Amino acid sequence: MKLRFHWMFPKGGEVGMKTAQETSRVLTTKRRSPAALPDMEGWTKFARSAEEAGIESVLLSFSRYEPDTILIACAVGQAVKRLKFIVAYRSGLMQPATFVQQVNTLSALIDGRVALNIVAGSSAAEQRGYGDFLEHDERYARAEEFLAICHHFWRNDGEVDFDGKYYRVEKGRVHTSFVAPDRSHPEVYVSGHSEQAQRLALTRASCWLRLIDTPEKLQPVVAPFRDKGIEVCLRLCVVCRRTRDEALAAAHALLPDEEIGRQERSILTKGDSQTYKQALAAADNRGWMSRSLWAGLVPYYGSSAITLVGAPEELAEVFLEYKQIGITQFIIAGWPKLDEMVRFGREVLPLIRRAEGH
Amino acid sequence: MNLRFHWMLPKGGEVAVGKPQTAQEAARYRILSTKGNTSAPQPDMEGWTRFARHAEEAGIDSVLISFSRYEPDPFVVSCALGQATKRLKFIVAYRSGLMQPATFVQQVNTLSALIDGRVSINMVAGSSTMEQRGYGDFLSHDERYARAEEFLAICRSFWRSETEVDFDGKYYRVEKGRIHTPFVAPARSHPEIYISGHSEPSEQLACSQGTCWLRVIDTTEKLEASVARIRARGIGVCLRLALICRRTREEAISVAQSLLPEDKEESITRLKDDSQMYREGAALKGDEHWLNGSLWTGLVSYYGPVWTTLLGSPKELAEAFLEYKKIGVTEFIISGWPEIDEVDIFGEEVLPLVREAERRA
Repeated sequence: MKLRFHWMFPKGGEVGMKTAQETSRVLTTKRRSPAALPDMEGWTKFARSAEEAGIESVLLSFSRYEPDTILIACAVGQAVKRLKFIVAYRSGLMQPATFVQQVNTLSALIDGRVALNIVAGSSAAEQRGYGDFLEHDERYARAEEFLAICHHFWRNDGEVDFDGKYYRVEKGRVHTSFVAPDRSHPEVYVSGHSEQAQRLALTRASCWLRLIDTPEKLQPVVAPFRDKGIEVCLRLCVVCRRTRDEALAAAHALLPDEEIGRQERSILTKGDSQTYKQALAAADNRGWMSRSLWAGLVPYYGSSAITLVGAPEELAEVFLEYKQIGITQFIIAGWPKLDEMVRFGREVLPLIRRAEGH
Repeated sequence: MNLRFHWMLPKGGEVAVGKPQTAQEAARYRILSTKGNTSAPQPDMEGWTRFARHAEEAGIDSVLISFSRYEPDPFVVSCALGQATKRLKFIVAYRSGLMQPATFVQQVNTLSALIDGRVSINMVAGSSTMEQRGYGDFLSHDERYARAEEFLAICRSFWRSETEVDFDGKYYRVEKGRIHTPFVAPARSHPEIYISGHSEPSEQLACSQGTCWLRVIDTTEKLEASVARIRARGIGVCLRLALICRRTREEAISVAQSLLPEDKEESITRLKDDSQMYREGAALKGDEHWLNGSLWTGLVSYYGPVWTTLLGSPKELAEAFLEYKKIGVTEFIISGWPEIDEVDIFGEEVLPLVREAERRA
């Protein structure tokens, strides 16, 4: 099977931003940030470029700082024909039946081009703002029930009854079915590094989504998922330039001022996310996790900013190394948002496809 | 102010493209759609886009998109249909108890930003107990209204506030809530909120949290007192009705008769056991079917209260609408069959007469 490449969907206004510094998360969480508003012009342009670059899906992140992901997928999905949408959503925000009804409606409107990234929750503070007062571990137990009920609806084999700790459903039916050329339910990505997240991915997901690490570190972690037929997808950033030296210079130019670093660090240390803690530790301990994998941007841009740096040939080789240990998918981000993706599609992806024999 | 006229969005598959359906087929479709034998659960972008263009052309303000487990999600449908139209607005029906208020606000606001604010809300406290339980909601009728009150209070707090939202109620709790995506519209910072229902709690909810009370049409005499009461609180009143307009009253009556089901056992009213609106409708007897010369309830016991039908010639109907205006009614949500033909007839024959009279007044 060919490796599958997805890209992180830019936040509102980011397609027009040229520097990484502008798009730092700290700035996009400000109330008057353009990230709060849909950016149909920028997004449509980005989506068309993604299709041309050979990108399969875009991941739409969910937070209180951004527009709702299901509706954005619907709007952008009308404007493009092939691109798929991995919609991030959190359990605890709506009833599973309502969620299924929305997802199924979306699938019918955009030819099934929708997958889900179910997130148990974000920081306790943000969750409470949504009316969710559960602790980290309980949020995973709830997400487990949430997905069990959703899958029951998607199996479409009669009325749904469920009596759990967090949800109760009696004779549930949602008549609008999931519509896709070759599936009767969406692919479900479950992300997170904690044990609970991994267990949830093993029981309820079609793919475990986690941050990139070195192939040596990942190999033993990936094995149990591959054994159960569950795919593994890595989140990473890419800085690709003609030569390794150029790529290194470009990567270093992404470092912002110290004030942004201080604010981001406080976000990373305040939350109860394992993913955040591990990423920050990688940055603090080593900076370089391998010859091409750099955590230097994490303190400034967040946990998902672990970056693969190098020339096209080097990067293609690295992706294929991950393939050898059983990784099947990647969700990538880069700066400037549009340029890096176009470069990836032009310079890196053809090398990978050639090596894969396509 | 001019009367506002909205229309019910047809169900999926109801606007048979290129093939005019008979009124009777259309009526039957409604019943079948609750039994899983139609394409009503699937979005019908081709039919809906065609209908929406006719509605815009006819001078219709908004379409109401109903919510049930038998149909696609109205938020997502509004988003798709809103991309395909320019002026038409969408009244999205939703029930409290299906999502957190903050999530609801985030969806409404996102939708507003995507379609230039062309979105209103029809908040329904809940449907039948059975259907609600299928969604994971186990509250009783009156409690559902109490919860809807809290739900909308929180939503309004998000729409009002530049600061964080805190709420500690019986059904919801929110701590330092913020939704950064604002409600975006040319002239509003929050959506219009229609509250529907005939019960006492629904009227109270309309006055405390709504911008408009939505109820089934009745005679002006019957409505006068409650309309005045609600208008005095600064809240609009919108009537739901079915419309049959033909060249003469006799023609309209014969169309109406053709809508009666062949199989009289086919009825959807019994599904909504704890709705006061449905109980009132089901209790009607044969000799009570003409409420006055133009208002007919012959279809109500089969199809539900929203099938209370205003019928007649264009001139008679225009006059009837203006009578309602006199007692303080501000808006109407209409349905009619065949869907597109009735919208066209209304836009060409009835609305110009209403507007002409409003200009003169």
